[in-house]
Amino acid sequence: MKINPQTFFNFCATHSALLRALADRGGEISEAEAMRFIRANPATVEELPETAWRGLVRNQILVPTEPGAQMHVLAEPVSRLLGYLFNDANPATPEMIQGYVLSLETTGKRLTRALDEEDVQQVKFAFEEINQALRRIHADLDETHSAILTELAHYKTERARVSVREKFRRILHWMERYVEPMIEIVRVDGPLRAVLDETERLLRGAREEALFNDYSALTLNQRFLRLVAAHALRVFTQCRKEIQPLYESLRQSSSIAEGAARALEKLQNEGLSRWGAEPLIGVCALRFQNVPGDAGIGLALRRVIEHPPEPPPVLEFAAEESAPDALVRRMWVDSLPERVRPALPVEDLLGWLVEEYPGKDTAQVLAGFTRLMFHSDFQARFGDTLARAYPTADGALQASPVKLASV
Amino acid sequence: MNSLPHLRDIFDRLKRGYHISLDDEPEFSALVARFDEYAAWFDALGLKLVRHEREFFYFEPDNSENVPDTLPRIAVFSYILIDHAANQGQPIEEFIFGQNFLLTALPHFTLDRYTALLRQVDVNEVKDLGTLLNHMERIGWVRWLGEEEFRFLRPFHRVFSKCLELAQTAQATVTEADLQLPA
Repeated sequence: MKINPQTFFNFCATHSALLRALADRGGEISEAEAMRFIRANPATVEELPETAWRGLVRNQILVPTEPGAQMHVLAEPVSRLLGYLFNDANPATPEMIQGYVLSLETTGKRLTRALDEEDVQQVKFAFEEINQALRRIHADLDETHSAILTELAHYKTERARVSVREKFRRILHWMERYVEPMIEIVRVDGPLRAVLDETERLLRGAREEALFNDYSALTLNQRFLRLVAAHALRVFTQCRKEIQPLYESLRQSSSIAEGAARALEKLQNEGLSRWGAEPLIGVCALRFQNVPGDAGIGLALRRVIEHPPEPPPVLEFAAEESAPDALVRRMWVDSLPERVRPALPVEDLLGWLVEEYPGKDTAQVLAGFTRLMFHSDFQARFGDTLARAYPTADGALQASPVKLASV
Repeated sequence: MNSLPHLRDIFDRLKRGYHISLDDEPEFSALVARFDEYAAWFDALGLKLVRHEREFFYFEPDNSENVPDTLPRIAVFSYILIDHAANQGQPIEEFIFGQNFLLTALPHFTLDRYTALLRQVDVNEVKDLGTLLNHMERIGWVRWLGEEEFRFLRPFHRVFSKCLELAQTAQATVTEADLQLPA
């Protein structure tokens, strides 16, 4: 359906805020959501929201995503117009420029054929198409340049908390998606320059063969060709120059941030004991091994000097005047087997001991008794008589008599 | 060679792990002017004098098995600060060197994650951060400007270098893994 330009622009004039909001939102939109936008961005004239909705649809500002669909999108021509009006440049993709290159190649072939066939009408058509393609390339290049500069300014002034890594990913996207592939296309030995050179050669041929008399159009196209070639290269070289420092800076920051994050992640996951030395930043600390420093020597000397004097232990080297009691006891016990042997068999061992050695105390008598009783040369056994008392130097023992005999 | 100026002061500082940078005059100028001679002199002692690309000097540390407790603390402290800067979306170097910091305004205890990481290296409160910064001042990485205010000095670039090294190692590992054929 044809749109009345007067109606269209009248509607736009009273709904610029709404159009801006719709353009910013982008994507598919339902009627309910569009009504919310209408209420939030009222027109400069008084009207019902339903009226504004009908205006959007009637003027084909919002069009159904497909015939009969409930969802709508902003019509592409309107979107481009709003982009132009609000300075929201959209970058041309490398595929778009490749498309122009292919278009110029096709037009060039048609022009060649027209020149061969001396078909003036076809030559004229081809001229117009070339002119149109060149204008589009020029406009798209300008728009791409503008979009990249806007994006760069946005990065530099952005206050929202977007992480360095996220920023780097975005700038990387611009570099890899637009700038670098575009430079490949527009460089002096690239496909765009080749097709422009070929087109210029054909235009020159048309002029020389006098098949096309509109010399001003010919000159204009030739001038435009050279302009587009130079402009394309300049635009993307400039873009790269603009974007490169930011790219480098963000790449550096992103790598630093990645390294730090990995180190922290390892510490978090594996603990300090398994963190290892790799994430540490070594610092020199010289230590002199086996060579004490002045401070160490001073401290040692001070400790020696300040230590309180202590008399050395005195050792008694004089010979003992009498044998130690323990030794005497030991020697007596060891002598008993030889002393008892002549008296064997002994009917009452304990009685023999207290009679032979009346000065021995209870402990010594028992030690002697044990020594003889368990000696390997003798055999001891209890007698049949009743227990009796055995006086010792410090008391008395009550025991049954034990007979001792040789083995 | 024995006439090298400030040799004693330079050696005395470097041997303790200090990094001599722009703020350390006249030693810095002496090292800049006659770096090769100083490097040769120290080389004879078995010490490697390093001139960092960001123009500061230090002795290359030996790969000692005994790691002082302060090194993990400094590393964790620095990595947290970088992580915080990255999350703010600011270029890291600009964030670190472009401002003075207040001890009490550091981000290290603002997140539970950071607090847990610091706890692993026995840094439990702001006072411990102060102790850590004192140590970093002793090796020439920071300078106190007041009781609480400090700024980072150029040798802090060693942390950035380490981060880049860690990132490259990780990327190389990923690439290597990608190249391995399935068994």
